[in-house]
Amino acid sequence: MDAIASAIRVGIDPHLDLDEYDPAADLMVLNFGPQHPSTHGVLRLKLYLDGETIVKADTFMGYLHRGKEKLAEKLTYAQITPIVDKIDYVAPMTTEQGVNMAYEALLGIEVPRRALYLRTILAELQRIASHLLWVATMSIDLGGALGGGTTVFMHCFRERESILDLFEELTGCRFHYNTHCIGGNRHDITAGWPKKVKATLDVIDSRTAEYESLTTGHRVFRERMVGVGVLPGDLALELGITGPNLRASGVDYDLRRDAPFHIYDELDVQVQTEKAGDCFARTLVRIREMRESIRIVREIIDSVPEGPINGAKPVKSPTQFKAKGGQAYACLEGPRGEVGTYVIGGGDNRGASPYRVKFRSPSMHALSALPYILPGHSISDCVAVLGSLDPILGEVDR
Amino acid sequence: MKGVDNPEFHELLKSRFGIEDFPKDAPPFVPASRHRALTGLLASEHGYTLYDFLVASHWPAVVSKKEDDPGDPEHYEVTTGLRIPARGSKLAVWRVRVEIDGTMPSIVDLFAGADWQEREQFDLVGVRFSRHPDMRRIMLPEDWDGHPLRRDYAIDTPHPPWR
Repeated sequence: MDAIASAIRVGIDPHLDLDEYDPAADLMVLNFGPQHPSTHGVLRLKLYLDGETIVKADTFMGYLHRGKEKLAEKLTYAQITPIVDKIDYVAPMTTEQGVNMAYEALLGIEVPRRALYLRTILAELQRIASHLLWVATMSIDLGGALGGGTTVFMHCFRERESILDLFEELTGCRFHYNTHCIGGNRHDITAGWPKKVKATLDVIDSRTAEYESLTTGHRVFRERMVGVGVLPGDLALELGITGPNLRASGVDYDLRRDAPFHIYDELDVQVQTEKAGDCFARTLVRIREMRESIRIVREIIDSVPEGPINGAKPVKSPTQFKAKGGQAYACLEGPRGEVGTYVIGGGDNRGASPYRVKFRSPSMHALSALPYILPGHSISDCVAVLGSLDPILGEVDR
Repeated sequence: MKGVDNPEFHELLKSRFGIEDFPKDAPPFVPASRHRALTGLLASEHGYTLYDFLVASHWPAVVSKKEDDPGDPEHYEVTTGLRIPARGSKLAVWRVRVEIDGTMPSIVDLFAGADWQEREQFDLVGVRFSRHPDMRRIMLPEDWDGHPLRRDYAIDTPHPPWR
């Protein structure tokens, strides 16, 4: 449980004093980012290199800090959804759900069953879309190794596009959906939508084997990924890393099964784990999770119960929901891990705004592993390790 | 508190730390002097090995008009969440009250993940952590004036452009 002890186990000191490093070494400082296509946004790494080996990695963030938590204090409970869409712009559905679940817990509003089914379907579809984008960007990160990597990139974007089409049909938007609200959802399932979902899933399911042969079955891909960026399970827990990154390190833990939300307590979610904890294990877990999500959506898409999709009164005024105080926390398993929201009630607008909101971001916890796992790797592995953690900088900086 | 139900944790606080006051809709208060002991105990003996979240909030002074009511001085509240990463996962959440000129004990040596989280809460809210190995701003530029998530920081406060 001791941070220093686990760092020694890994053989790495994240706060290495460079004055104590080998004086004969000719250290070079390399700035990686903030404007570099492989940083997945605007992350800046200050890498201290001894030859081609990374000795120490300093991480700088905040280039995309938009003050979402301060904004949330000014907006009322009913106004928050379109703002939080932009926190994790690769999986806005789960971010919306997380915030609204916390607000519902604070305000004591029940969500009807139809909306819970719809939320589950949307969360799983979002997971598939997000993991597809990860496989796509991971292959382009490995670039030359995969013959440019653009084949997998284009294939995965094609499939992700078909999921975005489903979202567009349901909500009218391709990216920033604004479809969840306090008490349920805004947009009901349209006629014929479930049929299209099933057709899309059939296509993605049949093509998953194709992605596997292009990535995990590819000899060069394996050479670049196996044994690279090993993250031990106990260090991952200590750093608060959740989601596929944690499961790839051998920890059998998934909020969908272990602290069920929505209707997951009625489903039998098969948690996908791997023991190795390296970049390759993280790939395996994500591709298997896509298959599992396809299975879950297929299982429930035809059994969505009839009924209302919103348990609260229709919003007539932005100051409609009020809380005098109280604190609530709600979380769900997003594509990157535990998407949590901590909210304290009783803020401005006579209690119609929260007093303080904190968005727990799984990407920030994932990035905090970099100073531990990067040292010792060669500079060419840096991009593979960074990409395999699946950080979304909008979520890191908020 | 709402959304989190963990009676075993409250039992533990009662029996081992003598805490009696359990608000219905908020996490219980733990004295700052016992914060590290509680964290260590939960992690080593009760399986709370996943570092979940850290939230600091700023509370300006409350001046009461009644003569016998002294009001409430300006202070911070720092909320910590730890989780059991296994089947039937449980979340333990507690608050620590930190006076405006006081410090919060850091738990970086117990949980490595606290490093960045404590830096973030210092940067945005202003609460200071004692014995943190690397305390500096994380989100905002080094020369930023003030802490934006304090209640007295106006949302339209002018600031110099990013450099």
